[in-house]
Amino acid sequence: MAKNAKLLVEKVSRSFPGVRGGTPVRALLPVELSVAENDFITILGPSGCGKSTLLRIIAGLDHPSEGRVLLDGREVRGPGPDRGMVFQSYTLFPWLTVAENIAFGLREKGVPEARRKEIVANYMQLVGLKGFENHWPKQLSGGMQQRTAIARALANDPEILLLDEPFGALDNQTRGLMQELLLGIWEREKKTVLFVTHDIEEAIFMASRVVVMSARPGRIKSDVAVDLPHPRSYTIKTSPEFSEFKARLTEEIRVEAMQAAEAH
Amino acid sequence: MPRPLEPVSPALRAVLGISFFVIFIAFWSWMTFGGHVARIFLADPLSMLRDGWRLLVEDNFLLDIGITMWRVFGGFILAAVVAVPLGIMMGAWKPVEAFLEPFVSFARYLPASAFIPLLILWAGVGEVEKLLVIFVGSVFQLILIIAVSVGNTRRDLVEAAYTLGSTSRGIVRRVIVPANAPEIAETLRLVLGWAWTYVIVAELIGSSSGIGYMIINSQSRLQTGQIIFGIIVIGLIGLVSDTAFKALNRKLFPWSLA
Repeated sequence: MAKNAKLLVEKVSRSFPGVRGGTPVRALLPVELSVAENDFITILGPSGCGKSTLLRIIAGLDHPSEGRVLLDGREVRGPGPDRGMVFQSYTLFPWLTVAENIAFGLREKGVPEARRKEIVANYMQLVGLKGFENHWPKQLSGGMQQRTAIARALANDPEILLLDEPFGALDNQTRGLMQELLLGIWEREKKTVLFVTHDIEEAIFMASRVVVMSARPGRIKSDVAVDLPHPRSYTIKTSPEFSEFKARLTEEIRVEAMQAAEAH
Repeated sequence: MPRPLEPVSPALRAVLGISFFVIFIAFWSWMTFGGHVARIFLADPLSMLRDGWRLLVEDNFLLDIGITMWRVFGGFILAAVVAVPLGIMMGAWKPVEAFLEPFVSFARYLPASAFIPLLILWAGVGEVEKLLVIFVGSVFQLILIIAVSVGNTRRDLVEAAYTLGSTSRGIVRRVIVPANAPEIAETLRLVLGWAWTYVIVAELIGSSSGIGYMIINSQSRLQTGQIIFGIIVIGLIGLVSDTAFKALNRKLFPWSLA
């Protein structure tokens, strides 16, 4: 499996220097993870388990204390357009319109304007934002902003899409719709996706594999293949198979959450 | 009494704003027409207007106004041309900040007016000296405020740009500059107001033209009406340029208000 892996995380650990000369804080124990091409993997863990740190290291926005990350066999040394990222906070550029936001990476790459317009129109359509091309981000709802952010990351045609709790700030109904939208895009485009969340249902619904992380210091606790059939619709969330996954993961996460609560 | 932070209607806002001017002028009239203060120290509103009219018609005061405006804007544009790039560089690159910040912070507290004697020695009493006073008075303030606002650029936007393939140059050109442009424009507006104080001080000392010169000249002839007229003209010009600046900012940066 490791041979044809798209993304390979090798013994990656991260400690932060101690405050005022105190002992360093271990955020992440050595993590091994291999992601196959076209896989949709969710990383599930309680807050503060280091799952965001891991994602940021893969994105190149943070450096591992030890170990390394390989994308298509090449070591990650910094952020780059081959790893598109969607953040939990709203990170659209407020001075650019929706269309200009989606075109941002293409402009950095020097894609000619005509081609840029074509790609932007395609992704506007894909995330259902047709007609909002010339809106400012401020004029959009949270869900629309995150849809734009997904389109902005995808327009760059990255090798892998990294999402750090992108729906965490949305209300429950919007979140459900966004999950279906993202899953639908993945089912059509077959991108390699790494999705960090603390929401168990979200993790199962979209994933082909759920990687459960333990409480701080974070490490991978279990790796659960989700063999629910595709295409999945929201109705699957009430099926007995889904409930079985949910019960199992709830149990695993509960232990971790309790440990995390005691540690504080 | 309205509750704290409760907004006020535009009509009421206008009425309240104007009524303070009315009260102010009424109090001034009461003091002067009522004989509560000697005419020699404070002219009444009517003789102020008369003196002002004479200044404009007979003494070519418009030319003085023009000269003063040219000095303010000239010196200020010079300061902005130096300060905006430097401030952005200081905010964006921490070694540049470490190198310049202590000196700029120190220079910021040097009073521009104290430099006037020195600047007269160096540059004479001509226009160069006037421009330099404005320049010295504004440039360090501008650099520091711009550097701080650039240094506070949202990190998540910078990170997002990196994941979209931006290089360091792209980050500065396509994130840091546009993200801070409205705040930089707002800083320019603020410091332009201060530049008006420096120009008057510069014109009070060693000058033969300008609003400040007219004011100091009127003092020696006890023409308080002219002095007040000069001060009011400065206030009006400030109000107009401020409003124009605000309107321009709104037009240039619609996204920051949408």
